[in-house]
Amino acid sequence: MTVPSARPPRPVRRGRRRFGAGKLGRGLLIGLFILFVLVPLYWVFVTSIKPSEDYLAVPPVWFPAAPTLGHYTAALFAYRGLDGLINSLVVSTGATILSALFGTAMAYSLARFGTGGQHLSFWVLSQRFLPPVAIVLPVFLLYRNLHLNDTRFGLVLIYTVFTLPVTVWMLFAYFRQMPPSLEEAALVDGCSRWQAFWSIAVPLAAPGIAAAMVFAFIACWTEFFFALILTGRNAFTLPTVFRAFLGFQGAQYGEASALAVVSLLPSTVLGMLAQKHLVRGLTLGAVRG
Amino acid sequence: MHPSIARVRQKPRPLAVWVDRHFKWLLVTPAVLLILALTVYPLAFSLWVAFINYDFTVPGHAFVGLENFRRVLADPVATGSALTTAWLTVVNVGLEFLLGLMLALAMARTFRGRGIVMTVLIVPLFISPVIVGQFWALLLQRPFGPTDYLLGKLVGHDVTISWLTQAPWNFIAIVVADVWQWTPFMFVLLLAGLTSIPPHVYEAAELDGASAWTAFWQLTLPALAPMILIAVTFRLLDAVKLFDVIFMLTGGGPGTSTYTASYYLYQIGFQQFHISQATAGSWLFLLAITVLIMLLVRKLLRPEAAR
Amino acid sequence: MAEVTITGLKKNYGAYQAVKGIDLAIPDGEFTVLVGPSGCGKSTLLRTIAGLEDITEGTIEIGGETVNDMRPRDRDVAMVFQDYALYPHMSVRRNIGFGLKARKFPKADIARRVERAAAMLGIGPLLDRLPRHLSGGQRQRVAIGRAIVRDPQIFLFDEPLSNLDAQLRDDMRGEIKRLHLEIGTTMIYVTHDQIEAMTLADRIVLMRDGRIEQQGSPLDLFERPATRFVAGFLGSPKMNFLDGEVVRGPEGGIRLADGTVLRLAPARLDALRQGPVVLGIRPEHMSRAAGEAVRPGFVRLDTTVDLLQPTGARTYATVGCAGQSLVAELQAHDVGEVGAHIVLDIDLRRASLFDATSGKAL
Repeated sequence: MTVPSARPPRPVRRGRRRFGAGKLGRGLLIGLFILFVLVPLYWVFVTSIKPSEDYLAVPPVWFPAAPTLGHYTAALFAYRGLDGLINSLVVSTGATILSALFGTAMAYSLARFGTGGQHLSFWVLSQRFLPPVAIVLPVFLLYRNLHLNDTRFGLVLIYTVFTLPVTVWMLFAYFRQMPPSLEEAALVDGCSRWQAFWSIAVPLAAPGIAAAMVFAFIACWTEFFFALILTGRNAFTLPTVFRAFLGFQGAQYGEASALAVVSLLPSTVLGMLAQKHLVRGLTLGAVRG
Repeated sequence: MHPSIARVRQKPRPLAVWVDRHFKWLLVTPAVLLILALTVYPLAFSLWVAFINYDFTVPGHAFVGLENFRRVLADPVATGSALTTAWLTVVNVGLEFLLGLMLALAMARTFRGRGIVMTVLIVPLFISPVIVGQFWALLLQRPFGPTDYLLGKLVGHDVTISWLTQAPWNFIAIVVADVWQWTPFMFVLLLAGLTSIPPHVYEAAELDGASAWTAFWQLTLPALAPMILIAVTFRLLDAVKLFDVIFMLTGGGPGTSTYTASYYLYQIGFQQFHISQATAGSWLFLLAITVLIMLLVRKLLRPEAAR
Repeated sequence: MAEVTITGLKKNYGAYQAVKGIDLAIPDGEFTVLVGPSGCGKSTLLRTIAGLEDITEGTIEIGGETVNDMRPRDRDVAMVFQDYALYPHMSVRRNIGFGLKARKFPKADIARRVERAAAMLGIGPLLDRLPRHLSGGQRQRVAIGRAIVRDPQIFLFDEPLSNLDAQLRDDMRGEIKRLHLEIGTTMIYVTHDQIEAMTLADRIVLMRDGRIEQQGSPLDLFERPATRFVAGFLGSPKMNFLDGEVVRGPEGGIRLADGTVLRLAPARLDALRQGPVVLGIRPEHMSRAAGEAVRPGFVRLDTTVDLLQPTGARTYATVGCAGQSLVAELQAHDVGEVGAHIVLDIDLRRASLFDATSGKAL
């Protein structure tokens, strides 16, 4: 699946009046949107370090006079946020690795040999759009029988499945643009197909694989629905901890914010690092940003 | 090279040769098996469950034909949630597209600090939707959120809107949360599409005397069409699954007024344990999405075949 | 022994027939060049010998063994690719030794062989560099080194010089020829360049449309082309072709479009049937008229110069003849100016005749 790729996003210097609004309009729009993005982030951060007395203050406290880290400790320990974090880490890492292994293998096969033709590719692609709600109930029942409910392994398996489409498609596009002559040289030189794949193709695809892994990790880290239903007191992940803050009666604002800050940092940092590959990741490799 | 150097010929092991011959199939096997086990099999299983009377407590499964489907379609909450899903999706995706496009157009040129701005703008994409719901709950919930206070200052008199429990404000809250998170998605893709348009097209237009408005409608939009299709398709198919934000912001309430399809099925299946009805409902939902997929994704793949 | 025998080889890609039935026997130690225009199937043929492509029908034998189902690594062949295909993340040393390492050779052995191959190709000082720090010519040598070091039964070359500039190409051509003299291994070389084919080959296999048009020694193909296609493919500038008709009888010969009859030796004329033909005259068989009398077997052409292309020692002059153009290869200082009158002698004894419809030589 190839769309004529977009060139790298170096913005184009156009002539004077091109898209209407002019410098002021553009600046205003961008500025407003940046504000829009930053306000909730700022508010959450500030709330996480506010002492509880400041919650009900009118006018609202924009920055506490006496910031505290107490909410962080409460969130991580009293609310078992740390356990959730560790589970999230384990599950996300595990699923990412499995997804990378299976996905790279499949992507290579599709790219180099056209395995299964259009049908296999389309089938894998369409998994991306499968609504979790369609399979979560039977998977829940299945896991119940296999004693996989509320286990990290069970979650790893289902997360691998739902990150596979993106991994496969990103790497499919990547392998397509690698010239096959390197692997052919390796084959003639003395490699088996497996050796050519593992010693030549995979190292050369390393940047693409890394990017795919980053996006898989972020997807697992931020996933809520499957975790909500398939985990309980043992294997619960970080997003599910927020259930405890539903219908707050006030006292939990600090903890909720603290946990939110802790949760969003890893995925956001990773996302910013993989920025270059963002367009590729979002469109399943169809477009090279 | 002296011809006397012995030629080393290794006898190939039959297993190695077999692996080589079937390599392409062996590579796809793990992924395919996993997908079969955790997607195809559950789907088949749930189809069976949808046609029987499945209950945790009562043994035995009686075949009940289309009864479960009928029950879902007759349930006003179900139809209500379907409608809510439909128009929330349209509003969300529509707004995200418009805002994303405007942002992309504004960001298409270089300026100092553009890199930093880009990095800030894409942050919402990497945050869990539950947490996004949490953000907006914090901002909007009275009496702790500053929203009513700020709005009051803006309009001059006290504002007392219950953003999470009062219609139509709770819908607005949901839309704001979704738009906050997913506008960058549209923005990033549309920007990539914009920067791939060669500048000399516009230079030719300027020489021809076209106005900026004409250039936009006749040149930019058509050139952007493939990317718009991709972006809208992906976003549309994700937006219909709206769950996390509902869960955190409104809990489906007040009553069942903000139920989306996924939330309704969650309630039926995991709070009320009407397993068969839930699976029937999820199959109806899946069918609706499949139609969408067939229409949109096929369209995405077909132009490529023609290239 | 590393002779290659190909019988009835066919290769289809779906409905497209790339190779339509090839029979080829290459003796051990010979330098065979597969040459032809794009799409003739030469690269496909080479790749099937390497094992990189499956065959639809037929057999390939290397050293007496049928290798149809063998993996490339088991066939003991080495290949040099057009884009060099050097492993970018490995040093030159590791690149060259890669094949030996994959076959589990002892380390000392590998080191020794790599040094020897590098010395042979003059790339000793480059051994620790990465491919991206090498020039095109150096990369090509490394690619050849990687092939040599394995001491294979057969060397395969897939248009190895196409990516080099003209000067470098000439140098490398000589190196490859010298390599063959030194090592003596069977070499199969694919190119679209007829000069490479002529200078390198012990035997040329000229392919067209998935079939072998003609095979033989370079001079064989050059002086006795079997078809018009072969005659037009080899030789630069191209052979001149004139449309004509066989006229039998005592005043017989080839009648050109403007009615002129070019006399042929009776022995030759008798072997021909009446009918349309194509007369092929090589540019080097035309020269400035010498002497008053026309030599036997020659024909005198009185014409004007239309175009001149000097190349140093020689000049190619385009002249008119019976409504068509001929290119003559003349000494540089033997030609007048454009538009000037010129008299040429054409050696008809060396001319070729082809059937106008089938293209076969007569």
